[in-house]
Amino acid sequence: MNKSGYVEGGSLSGLRVLDLTRVWAGPLATRIFGDFGAQIIKISDPRTPVANTNGVNNKLNRNKLSLGLRLDKDSGKGIFRDLVAISDVVIENFRPRVMRNLSLAYDQLKAINHDIVMCSMPGFGMEGPYSEYPAYGTTAEAIAGVPSLIGYEPSVPMPTGIAYGDPISGLHAIGAVLASLRNRDIAGGGQFIDVALAAGPVITIGEFLVASSADSYEREVYGNKHTHQSPHGAYKAAGDDNWIAISVTNDQEWMSLRSVADDDRLSDPRFFEFEGRKQNEKLIDQVISEWVANREAVDLMNLLQNAGVPAGRVANSRQFLNDPHLAARDFFVWLDEQEFGPKQYEGQSIPGNYVDKSNWEPSHQMGQDSRYILEDILGYSDEQCHSLASEGSVAFNRELPTSDQRD
Amino acid sequence: MQDRHSQNEQTAENLPLRGIKVVEAAQGVAGPFCGRFLAALGAKVIKVERPPEGDWSRKIGPFLPGNVRSECSALYLYNNMGKESVLLDWETESGMSALETLVSSADILIEDWDRAYREEIGLTTDRFTSLNSELIEICTTPFGLTGPYSRWKSTPIVQLALGGYLYLTGNSSEEPLMLPGHQPDYLTGLNAHNAVQIALWERARSGRGQFLEMSMMENLGVLHQFTFEMETYSGVVRNRNGLQWNKVGPFASYGITTLPCDDGYVAFGASTEDQWERLCAMLGREDLLDDPEFDTRLKRSQKSDTLDSLITDWMKGKTRQEVFLEGSEKWFLPVAPVLNLNEVLRDPQFVQRNLFQPLSHPEAGEALYPTFPFAMSEIKPIVARAPLLGEHTSDVLGGLA
Repeated sequence: MNKSGYVEGGSLSGLRVLDLTRVWAGPLATRIFGDFGAQIIKISDPRTPVANTNGVNNKLNRNKLSLGLRLDKDSGKGIFRDLVAISDVVIENFRPRVMRNLSLAYDQLKAINHDIVMCSMPGFGMEGPYSEYPAYGTTAEAIAGVPSLIGYEPSVPMPTGIAYGDPISGLHAIGAVLASLRNRDIAGGGQFIDVALAAGPVITIGEFLVASSADSYEREVYGNKHTHQSPHGAYKAAGDDNWIAISVTNDQEWMSLRSVADDDRLSDPRFFEFEGRKQNEKLIDQVISEWVANREAVDLMNLLQNAGVPAGRVANSRQFLNDPHLAARDFFVWLDEQEFGPKQYEGQSIPGNYVDKSNWEPSHQMGQDSRYILEDILGYSDEQCHSLASEGSVAFNRELPTSDQRD
Repeated sequence: MQDRHSQNEQTAENLPLRGIKVVEAAQGVAGPFCGRFLAALGAKVIKVERPPEGDWSRKIGPFLPGNVRSECSALYLYNNMGKESVLLDWETESGMSALETLVSSADILIEDWDRAYREEIGLTTDRFTSLNSELIEICTTPFGLTGPYSRWKSTPIVQLALGGYLYLTGNSSEEPLMLPGHQPDYLTGLNAHNAVQIALWERARSGRGQFLEMSMMENLGVLHQFTFEMETYSGVVRNRNGLQWNKVGPFASYGITTLPCDDGYVAFGASTEDQWERLCAMLGREDLLDDPEFDTRLKRSQKSDTLDSLITDWMKGKTRQEVFLEGSEKWFLPVAPVLNLNEVLRDPQFVQRNLFQPLSHPEAGEALYPTFPFAMSEIKPIVARAPLLGEHTSDVLGGLA
């Protein structure tokens, strides 16, 4: 991306996306568009300080332009409407009433641009009994039923610990927006898309819900136990909190595990088949636990995988960031975050023609691109910019130069 | 232009992927979940399954009641909605030739042939794209086709372990816990659909297809919340905290916690200062707002046990639904009941969104199927049952002769 925000290459170059999203799910979605070369105009209220010291804002907002804009002011709304007229997509994750109260609901935007695709990502959806209730990824996963399927024992559910509702919602938004853009190209006309955060995790436990609806599912296994695989679990390896995940999916893998673990107690012929292993799972787990207790998780993983047994070290953040496989595949990216220095981030997992990583832009300061957007994209004059700055509708990140300082 | 709102019946003819032909050789969840989106959006999806047993997910439950078990796997039935099934053994010469014929007139090929399998059957990555320059081929595998792990085996728990998720779920002193079912595969299927949509967008402009190599491990890597930034910006390794939230580092906070009430558990998601104030007001404990013991997020997080017991006491005599309604409506807090599966299926918000639709299958009978978490104003995705094994073999392969 060069200074003007124009992207050389990238499958989505030429698309313009107005990004009103905050927190995680929404910015994750628009980051994908930006990585693939769409022009993302991230619109933020200048009165809300950007919390960037923890890194999440910076990670999610790479490859985006920043416009500081107050939508509650008439002149701010006017700028937004001017942008809608020349954009392809508007995406937001406020509560349903916010855009309606701003007179910026889909029907009102469609009157400006018949082809606009608008994606709203509220907690529970735009309509329905819970539509104005707040929701986060942590509460969304709960009402979607996910914690009821996790846990050590039947009576106590376990949250994912990772706010699972958010990433699923973000990924759904991308597909729905792109399908709508394709529809626009073929048939003409825009689209309103309502992605409910709470409905996202429902979709990834579909098989359990289908069976449950026919009274055909009852949870049988707890902890890391598995209905079709044994042994199956995470076993504590050498060190403080290091674990190795092992799952034996068939009898051949069992024989391989037995040969590397080399303990007479595993030689029982009853264990050669799944049923026998499942019935004696406690004993087998005990033997494996003893075997791994003083070995390094990475060594165990290499040993088991080289013998053909599915196994993986339970990576923490530091171990993931230093993973040799990911490094060999050039998965990570380093971006220079000015005051914070160069920082390592995950790259883009969607393959294809994304913008070359050497051209990725770190997150921009709030309002860093306001002037470019107003003058170069919308054609506002210098005087208009000054007047918008003085009434506080637009934040320009730094003092606007006077006309004779420019050029 | 006709008023698209007036349409009340949606068929493939007015969906965005009308005219798009997909061949799906992938099995399990990741590739098939991608194909399910494409079918719902109007593409013709031909699923090729190897005889005699077909997709391995047919052997994995949970199962619906029915006499023919391989037709009753809810995992298969859910992930293969709206597709056609063709029996075809691409490991034989004639089968591969039939697959090549199918793919040469297709727009998209979804497969999951990993490096070890490709080497075993002698399949290069340009086998199909060289036959059809407009073909978009997506290959989803656990680790990708290059790199030191590319010949390794994987399962969901192994994937969650290496992807950095397993470490974050469960109690801090105990074995870390896996997410249910096939989460890495579902997340990969979602992103595979995104990859295909992006490639279709580009193809509409450039006319060229692509071979898209997707790694499940990398998909997990891009979906972490703040796990890596906690490390790279603050030098703190994120850990797991059971029913509670982070108690160290910049994301330490109180108010994200899961607690019991009279008929089950409730998940609270309060994390901002505003929400802390409203939580105290809800509990009738505004005095805590002036208490120096609780004046930062970090201090509060470290008093999670004390604060949890205040909420638990407050919830005594209340049901999950009562807490949910009072917390959401009166105090505007992010709070939700932890529902079990039967409750999810009956939840009034989900029901109003038509999130579940009944479908009848000739072998597995009636069941409710989750549709999509998005609703669209102009497009109604197709919701149709999964095919029987080889149900469309003669229709599809007969047409090739």
